[in-house]
Amino acid sequence: MFSSSQFDATSAFAGGGFSFTQQTQPTDSTPSPAKSRETQGLVPVTVKQISEASQSGDEKSNFVINGVDVANVTVVGMVFEKVGRNTDVAFILDDGTGQMKCRRWMNENFDTIEMEEILDGMYVRVNGHLKSFQGAKQLVAFSVRPVTNFDEVTFHFIDCIHNHLQTKSQGEGLTPTQPQLVDTSLSTPMRNGSNGSQTAPSSQLSGQFSIDGLKSCDQLVLDYLQQPSSIGQEKGIHRDELSRQLKFPVEKIMESIRSLEEEGLIYSTIDEFHYKSTASG
Amino acid sequence: MDTSSPSVFVNAELLRVHIGKKVRAVVHVIQSDGEITTGKSTDEHQLIVKGLPHVSLMSYVEVIGIAESDQSIRAETWTNFGNTFDTQSYNQVCQLANGEFKGLFL
Repeated sequence: MFSSSQFDATSAFAGGGFSFTQQTQPTDSTPSPAKSRETQGLVPVTVKQISEASQSGDEKSNFVINGVDVANVTVVGMVFEKVGRNTDVAFILDDGTGQMKCRRWMNENFDTIEMEEILDGMYVRVNGHLKSFQGAKQLVAFSVRPVTNFDEVTFHFIDCIHNHLQTKSQGEGLTPTQPQLVDTSLSTPMRNGSNGSQTAPSSQLSGQFSIDGLKSCDQLVLDYLQQPSSIGQEKGIHRDELSRQLKFPVEKIMESIRSLEEEGLIYSTIDEFHYKSTASG
Repeated sequence: MDTSSPSVFVNAELLRVHIGKKVRAVVHVIQSDGEITTGKSTDEHQLIVKGLPHVSLMSYVEVIGIAESDQSIRAETWTNFGNTFDTQSYNQVCQLANGEFKGLFL
Protein backbone atom coordinates (compact mmCIF):
# COMPACT_ATOMS: atom_id res chain seq x y z
CA MET A 1 0.00 0.00 0.00
CA PHE A 2 1.16 3.54 -0.53
CA SER A 3 1.50 4.27 3.17
CA SER A 4 3.63 1.23 3.92
CA SER A 5 6.15 2.28 1.28
CA GLN A 6 6.66 5.54 3.12
CA PHE A 7 7.19 3.61 6.31
CA ASP A 8 9.78 1.38 4.65
CA ALA A 9 11.73 4.30 3.27
CA THR A 10 12.13 6.03 6.58
CA SER A 11 12.41 3.18 9.04
CA ALA A 12 15.63 1.54 10.11
CA PHE A 13 14.42 -1.59 8.39
CA ALA A 14 14.32 -0.16 4.90
CA GLY A 15 14.75 -2.99 2.46
CA GLY A 16 13.73 -5.50 5.13
CA GLY A 17 10.52 -5.86 3.21
CA PHE A 18 8.28 -6.13 6.24
CA SER A 19 4.75 -5.60 5.12
CA PHE A 20 3.87 -4.34 8.53
CA THR A 21 0.35 -3.30 7.86
CA GLN A 22 -0.91 -6.73 6.88
CA GLN A 23 0.02 -8.24 10.25
CA THR A 24 -1.84 -5.65 12.26
CA GLN A 25 -5.15 -6.50 10.67
CA PRO A 26 -6.05 -9.53 12.78
CA THR A 27 -5.97 -7.37 15.89
CA ASP A 28 -8.30 -4.86 14.32
CA SER A 29 -11.85 -6.02 14.81
CA THR A 30 -13.43 -3.39 12.59
CA PRO A 31 -13.50 -4.13 8.85
CA SER A 32 -10.55 -2.60 7.08
CA PRO A 33 -11.62 -0.24 4.32
CA ALA A 34 -8.16 -0.43 2.74
CA LYS A 35 -8.98 -4.05 1.95
CA SER A 36 -12.54 -3.36 0.94
CA ARG A 37 -11.40 -0.86 -1.64
CA GLU A 38 -9.61 -3.62 -3.50
CA THR A 39 -12.09 -6.40 -2.98
CA GLN A 40 -15.39 -4.62 -2.95
CA GLY A 41 -18.68 -6.43 -3.05
CA LEU A 42 -21.79 -4.92 -4.57
CA VAL A 43 -21.82 -1.18 -4.23
CA PRO A 44 -25.28 0.32 -3.76
CA VAL A 45 -25.70 3.21 -6.18
CA THR A 46 -28.34 5.33 -7.83
CA VAL A 47 -28.55 5.63 -11.60
CA LYS A 48 -27.61 9.28 -11.16
CA GLN A 49 -24.34 8.24 -9.49
CA ILE A 50 -23.59 5.81 -12.31
CA SER A 51 -24.24 8.49 -14.92
CA GLU A 52 -21.66 10.69 -13.21
CA ALA A 53 -19.06 7.97 -12.81
CA SER A 54 -15.81 8.55 -14.62
CA GLN A 55 -13.76 5.85 -16.23
CA SER A 56 -10.20 5.05 -15.35
CA GLY A 57 -7.58 2.61 -16.40
CA ASP A 58 -5.85 2.19 -19.72
CA GLU A 59 -8.62 0.22 -21.29
CA LYS A 60 -11.20 2.49 -19.69
CA SER A 61 -12.66 -0.60 -18.14
CA ASN A 62 -12.89 0.65 -14.58
CA PHE A 63 -15.56 2.96 -13.33
CA VAL A 64 -14.81 5.42 -10.59
CA ILE A 65 -17.46 6.66 -8.19
CA ASN A 66 -16.46 8.89 -5.28
CA GLY A 67 -12.81 8.28 -6.08
CA VAL A 68 -13.16 4.54 -5.66
CA ASP A 69 -13.05 1.85 -8.34
CA VAL A 70 -16.47 0.31 -8.72
CA ALA A 71 -17.16 -2.80 -10.76
CA ASN A 72 -20.22 -4.50 -9.37
CA VAL A 73 -23.25 -2.56 -8.28
CA THR A 74 -26.70 -3.12 -6.87
CA VAL A 75 -29.57 -0.91 -8.01
CA VAL A 76 -33.26 -0.91 -7.14
CA GLY A 77 -35.79 0.45 -9.59
CA MET A 78 -38.62 -0.25 -11.98
CA VAL A 79 -38.39 -2.35 -15.12
CA PHE A 80 -39.53 -0.88 -18.42
CA GLU A 81 -39.36 -1.91 -22.08
CA LYS A 82 -38.34 -5.44 -21.36
CA VAL A 83 -37.27 -7.16 -24.58
CA GLY A 84 -36.57 -10.86 -24.45
CA ARG A 85 -34.46 -12.65 -27.01
CA ASN A 86 -32.92 -16.10 -27.14
CA THR A 87 -29.50 -14.87 -26.23
CA ASP A 88 -30.35 -12.13 -23.78
CA VAL A 89 -33.00 -10.02 -22.14
CA ALA A 90 -32.67 -6.25 -22.20
CA PHE A 91 -34.65 -3.70 -20.22
CA ILE A 92 -34.56 -0.17 -18.91
CA LEU A 93 -34.18 0.31 -15.20
CA ASP A 94 -35.72 3.48 -13.77
CA ASP A 95 -34.94 4.19 -10.12
CA GLY A 96 -36.38 7.69 -9.99
CA THR A 97 -32.97 9.32 -10.34
CA GLY A 98 -32.52 8.24 -13.93
CA GLN A 99 -32.96 5.47 -16.46
CA MET A 100 -30.31 3.08 -17.70
CA LYS A 101 -30.07 0.11 -20.04
CA CYS A 102 -29.60 -3.29 -18.50
CA ARG A 103 -28.84 -6.58 -20.18
CA ARG A 104 -29.00 -10.10 -18.83
CA TRP A 105 -27.29 -12.83 -20.83
CA MET A 106 -29.18 -16.08 -20.98
CA ASN A 107 -26.32 -18.38 -20.06
CA GLU A 108 -28.16 -20.92 -18.00
CA ASN A 109 -31.67 -22.14 -17.42
CA PHE A 110 -31.75 -20.23 -14.19
CA ASP A 111 -31.33 -16.96 -16.08
CA THR A 112 -34.35 -17.68 -18.28
CA ILE A 113 -36.52 -18.75 -15.37
CA GLU A 114 -35.64 -15.72 -13.31
CA MET A 115 -36.24 -13.26 -16.14
CA GLU A 116 -39.60 -14.78 -17.08
CA GLU A 117 -41.01 -13.56 -13.78
CA ILE A 118 -39.97 -9.99 -14.43
CA LEU A 119 -42.61 -7.75 -15.97
CA ASP A 120 -42.73 -4.12 -16.98
CA GLY A 121 -43.62 -1.84 -14.10
CA MET A 122 -42.21 -4.20 -11.50
CA TYR A 123 -39.83 -3.01 -8.80
CA VAL A 124 -36.67 -5.12 -8.92
CA ARG A 125 -33.24 -5.29 -7.38
CA VAL A 126 -30.59 -5.66 -10.05
CA ASN A 127 -27.09 -6.81 -9.21
CA GLY A 128 -24.63 -6.50 -12.04
CA HIS A 129 -21.44 -5.33 -13.59
CA LEU A 130 -20.96 -1.85 -14.99
CA LYS A 131 -19.88 -1.78 -18.61
CA SER A 132 -19.40 0.80 -21.30
CA PHE A 133 -20.94 -0.03 -24.65
CA GLN A 134 -20.72 2.27 -27.65
CA GLY A 135 -20.04 5.20 -25.35
CA ALA A 136 -23.04 4.56 -23.12
CA LYS A 137 -22.92 3.03 -19.67
CA GLN A 138 -24.78 -0.25 -19.31
CA LEU A 139 -25.44 -2.68 -16.56
CA VAL A 140 -24.75 -6.33 -17.31
CA ALA A 141 -27.02 -8.01 -14.80
CA PHE A 142 -26.34 -11.35 -13.20
CA SER A 143 -29.24 -11.18 -10.80
CA VAL A 144 -32.69 -9.60 -11.16
CA ARG A 145 -35.03 -10.15 -8.26
CA PRO A 146 -38.54 -8.71 -7.75
CA VAL A 147 -38.97 -6.57 -4.66
CA THR A 148 -41.66 -7.98 -2.40
CA ASN A 149 -41.17 -5.94 0.76
CA PHE A 150 -41.08 -2.31 -0.27
CA ASP A 151 -39.06 -1.21 2.71
CA GLU A 152 -36.26 -2.55 0.51
CA VAL A 153 -36.70 0.47 -1.74
CA THR A 154 -36.28 2.85 1.20
CA PHE A 155 -33.38 0.76 2.47
CA HIS A 156 -31.58 0.86 -0.87
CA PHE A 157 -31.51 4.65 -0.97
CA ILE A 158 -30.34 4.84 2.62
CA ASP A 159 -27.68 2.28 1.68
CA CYS A 160 -26.53 4.50 -1.22
CA ILE A 161 -26.23 7.49 1.10
CA HIS A 162 -24.40 5.42 3.69
CA ASN A 163 -21.93 4.04 1.17
CA HIS A 164 -21.38 7.52 -0.21
CA LEU A 165 -20.52 8.83 3.24
CA GLN A 166 -18.26 5.90 3.97
CA THR A 167 -16.16 6.25 0.83
CA LYS A 168 -15.94 9.99 1.33
CA SER A 169 -14.59 9.68 4.87
CA GLN A 170 -12.19 6.93 3.87
CA GLY A 171 -10.70 9.32 1.39
CA GLU A 172 -10.39 11.98 4.07
CA GLY A 173 -9.48 9.69 6.95
CA LEU A 174 -6.39 8.28 5.30
CA THR A 175 -4.83 11.57 4.23
CA PRO A 176 -4.11 13.12 7.62
CA THR A 177 -2.24 10.05 8.87
CA GLN A 178 0.16 9.91 5.90
CA PRO A 179 2.02 13.14 6.57
CA GLN A 180 2.00 12.31 10.28
CA LEU A 181 3.93 9.12 9.57
CA VAL A 182 6.61 11.02 7.67
CA ASP A 183 6.86 13.63 10.41
CA THR A 184 7.30 11.22 13.30
CA SER A 185 9.94 9.13 11.54
CA LEU A 186 11.95 12.15 10.42
CA SER A 187 11.85 13.72 13.84
CA THR A 188 12.55 10.63 15.87
CA PRO A 189 15.14 12.34 18.08
CA MET A 190 12.55 14.97 18.98
CA ARG A 191 10.03 14.44 21.71
CA ASN A 192 7.59 11.86 20.43
CA GLY A 193 5.23 13.04 23.11
CA SER A 194 4.29 16.20 21.25
CA ASN A 195 3.86 14.37 17.95
CA GLY A 196 1.98 11.66 19.76
CA SER A 197 -0.68 14.04 20.96
CA GLN A 198 -1.02 15.42 17.44
CA THR A 199 -1.52 12.03 15.87
CA ALA A 200 -3.75 10.63 18.60
CA PRO A 201 -6.87 12.59 17.60
CA SER A 202 -6.56 11.80 13.88
CA SER A 203 -5.68 8.16 14.48
CA GLN A 204 -8.67 7.83 16.78
CA LEU A 205 -10.82 9.19 13.97
CA SER A 206 -9.28 7.18 11.17
CA GLY A 207 -8.74 4.22 13.49
CA GLN A 208 -12.45 3.65 13.21
CA PHE A 209 -12.23 3.36 9.48
CA SER A 210 -8.76 2.23 8.56
CA ILE A 211 -5.88 0.21 9.87
CA ASP A 212 -3.67 3.25 9.40
CA GLY A 213 -4.82 4.43 12.81
CA LEU A 214 -3.35 1.34 14.41
CA LYS A 215 -0.25 1.49 12.27
CA SER A 216 0.66 4.98 13.42
CA CYS A 217 0.44 3.79 17.03
CA ASP A 218 2.73 0.87 16.16
CA GLN A 219 5.07 3.30 14.45
CA LEU A 220 5.11 5.58 17.48
CA VAL A 221 5.85 2.73 19.88
CA LEU A 222 8.62 1.50 17.61
CA ASP A 223 10.07 4.97 17.23
CA TYR A 224 10.08 5.48 20.97
CA LEU A 225 11.81 2.18 21.57
CA GLN A 226 14.37 2.96 18.89
CA GLN A 227 15.39 6.21 20.48
CA PRO A 228 19.00 6.12 21.74
CA SER A 229 17.76 6.73 25.28
CA SER A 230 15.48 3.70 25.12
CA ILE A 231 18.11 1.50 23.53
CA GLY A 232 20.52 2.58 26.26
CA GLN A 233 18.22 1.12 28.91
CA GLU A 234 19.11 -2.51 29.50
CA LYS A 235 15.79 -3.38 31.07
CA GLY A 236 13.87 -1.88 28.19
CA ILE A 237 10.87 0.40 28.50
CA HIS A 238 7.83 -0.37 30.63
CA ARG A 239 4.56 -0.35 28.70
CA ASP A 240 3.07 2.15 31.17
CA GLU A 241 5.79 4.59 30.24
CA LEU A 242 4.92 4.11 26.56
CA SER A 243 1.27 4.72 27.35
CA ARG A 244 2.07 7.87 29.31
CA GLN A 245 4.55 9.32 26.83
CA LEU A 246 2.65 8.50 23.66
CA LYS A 247 -0.72 9.34 25.22
CA PHE A 248 -2.38 6.11 24.12
CA PRO A 249 -4.46 3.86 26.37
CA VAL A 250 -2.57 0.83 27.65
CA GLU A 251 -4.76 -1.56 25.62
CA LYS A 252 -3.73 0.20 22.42
CA ILE A 253 -0.07 0.09 23.44
CA MET A 254 -0.37 -3.61 24.18
CA GLU A 255 -1.93 -4.23 20.74
CA SER A 256 0.96 -2.42 19.08
CA ILE A 257 3.46 -4.28 21.24
CA ARG A 258 1.91 -7.60 20.22
CA SER A 259 2.15 -6.80 16.51
CA LEU A 260 5.65 -5.40 16.77
CA GLU A 261 6.72 -8.48 18.71
CA GLU A 262 5.18 -10.74 16.06
CA GLU A 263 7.17 -8.89 13.44
CA GLY A 264 10.34 -9.45 15.40
CA LEU A 265 10.93 -5.73 15.84
CA ILE A 266 10.77 -5.71 19.64
CA TYR A 267 11.20 -8.23 22.40
CA SER A 268 10.31 -8.46 26.05
CA THR A 269 13.08 -8.25 28.59
CA ILE A 270 12.78 -8.80 32.33
CA ASP A 271 9.01 -9.37 32.25
CA GLU A 272 6.05 -9.03 29.92
CA PHE A 273 5.79 -5.32 30.62
CA HIS A 274 9.27 -4.30 29.51
CA TYR A 275 10.21 -4.15 25.86
CA LYS A 276 13.21 -3.27 23.78
CA SER A 277 13.71 -2.73 20.10
CA THR A 278 15.65 -5.48 18.30
CA ALA A 279 17.57 -2.82 16.35
CA SER A 280 20.87 -1.88 17.80
CA GLY A 281 20.39 1.82 17.01
CA MET B 1 -28.44 6.60 -19.75
CA ASP B 2 -30.98 9.31 -19.11
CA THR B 3 -31.15 11.40 -15.99
CA SER B 4 -33.24 14.18 -17.49
CA SER B 5 -36.49 13.49 -15.73
CA PRO B 6 -35.91 12.28 -12.21
CA SER B 7 -38.82 11.98 -9.80
CA VAL B 8 -38.12 13.85 -6.58
CA PHE B 9 -38.77 12.12 -3.28
CA VAL B 10 -41.36 14.26 -1.51
CA ASN B 11 -43.55 14.34 1.54
CA ALA B 12 -46.27 16.94 2.09
CA GLU B 13 -43.79 19.56 3.26
CA LEU B 14 -41.49 19.14 0.27
CA LEU B 15 -44.29 18.90 -2.26
CA ARG B 16 -44.83 22.65 -2.32
CA VAL B 17 -41.24 23.21 -3.33
CA HIS B 18 -41.64 21.07 -6.44
CA ILE B 19 -44.98 22.14 -7.86
CA GLY B 20 -45.12 21.41 -11.57
CA LYS B 21 -42.33 18.87 -11.39
CA LYS B 22 -42.28 15.10 -11.43
CA VAL B 23 -42.39 13.80 -7.89
CA ARG B 24 -42.79 10.52 -6.04
CA ALA B 25 -44.48 10.06 -2.70
CA VAL B 26 -45.86 7.28 -0.57
CA VAL B 27 -49.37 7.81 0.77
CA HIS B 28 -51.36 5.83 3.26
CA VAL B 29 -54.78 5.55 1.64
CA ILE B 30 -57.63 6.95 3.74
CA GLN B 31 -60.29 7.36 1.09
CA SER B 32 -60.59 6.22 -2.50
CA ASP B 33 -63.49 6.84 -4.88
CA GLY B 34 -62.00 5.90 -8.21
CA GLU B 35 -60.95 9.36 -9.32
CA ILE B 36 -59.72 11.15 -6.23
CA THR B 37 -57.74 9.34 -3.59
CA THR B 38 -57.10 10.92 -0.23
CA GLY B 39 -54.12 9.75 1.71
CA LYS B 40 -51.77 10.56 4.53
CA SER B 41 -48.26 11.52 3.54
CA THR B 42 -45.18 10.14 5.27
CA ASP B 43 -45.02 13.33 7.34
CA GLU B 44 -48.61 12.93 8.52
CA HIS B 45 -50.33 15.49 6.31
CA GLN B 46 -53.21 15.01 3.94
CA LEU B 47 -52.49 14.61 0.26
CA ILE B 48 -54.83 14.25 -2.72
CA VAL B 49 -53.91 11.96 -5.57
CA LYS B 50 -55.73 12.21 -8.89
CA GLY B 51 -55.93 9.52 -11.49
CA LEU B 52 -55.59 6.43 -9.32
CA PRO B 53 -57.97 3.55 -9.83
CA HIS B 54 -59.73 2.18 -6.82
CA VAL B 55 -57.16 1.19 -4.21
CA SER B 56 -57.80 -0.62 -0.97
CA LEU B 57 -58.02 1.52 2.14
CA MET B 58 -55.19 1.52 4.63
CA SER B 59 -52.74 0.31 2.00
CA TYR B 60 -49.60 2.19 1.13
CA VAL B 61 -49.27 3.38 -2.42
CA GLU B 62 -46.26 4.94 -4.06
CA VAL B 63 -47.36 7.55 -6.52
CA ILE B 64 -45.15 8.97 -9.25
CA GLY B 65 -46.57 11.93 -11.11
CA ILE B 66 -46.72 15.68 -11.51
CA ALA B 67 -47.18 17.86 -8.44
CA GLU B 68 -50.26 19.96 -9.24
CA SER B 69 -50.45 21.95 -6.08
CA ASP B 70 -48.94 21.94 -2.64
CA GLN B 71 -51.42 19.28 -1.68
CA SER B 72 -52.10 17.21 -4.77
CA ILE B 73 -50.35 14.97 -7.26
CA ARG B 74 -51.59 13.81 -10.64
CA ALA B 75 -50.52 10.20 -10.87
CA GLU B 76 -48.72 8.76 -13.88
CA THR B 77 -47.43 5.56 -12.33
CA TRP B 78 -48.31 3.94 -9.08
CA THR B 79 -47.22 0.92 -7.12
CA ASN B 80 -49.01 -0.79 -4.28
CA PHE B 81 -46.53 -1.00 -1.45
CA GLY B 82 -48.71 -3.30 0.61
CA ASN B 83 -50.20 -2.94 4.05
CA THR B 84 -47.07 -2.47 6.03
CA PHE B 85 -44.47 0.13 5.29
CA ASP B 86 -41.94 2.09 7.30
CA THR B 87 -43.12 5.65 6.67
CA GLN B 88 -40.64 7.15 9.09
CA SER B 89 -37.61 5.86 7.19
CA TYR B 90 -39.11 6.89 3.87
CA ASN B 91 -39.76 10.34 5.28
CA GLN B 92 -36.12 10.62 6.30
CA VAL B 93 -35.02 9.57 2.81
CA CYS B 94 -37.21 12.38 1.42
CA GLN B 95 -35.43 14.88 3.64
CA LEU B 96 -31.94 13.55 2.89
CA ALA B 97 -32.59 13.28 -0.85
CA ASN B 98 -33.65 16.91 -0.98
CA GLY B 99 -31.05 18.17 1.40
CA GLU B 100 -27.54 17.06 2.05
CA PHE B 101 -27.48 14.25 -0.51
CA LYS B 102 -29.32 15.91 -3.35
CA GLY B 103 -26.39 15.19 -5.64
CA LEU B 104 -27.00 11.46 -5.49
CA PHE B 105 -30.59 11.86 -6.64
CA LEU B 106 -31.21 14.92 -8.76
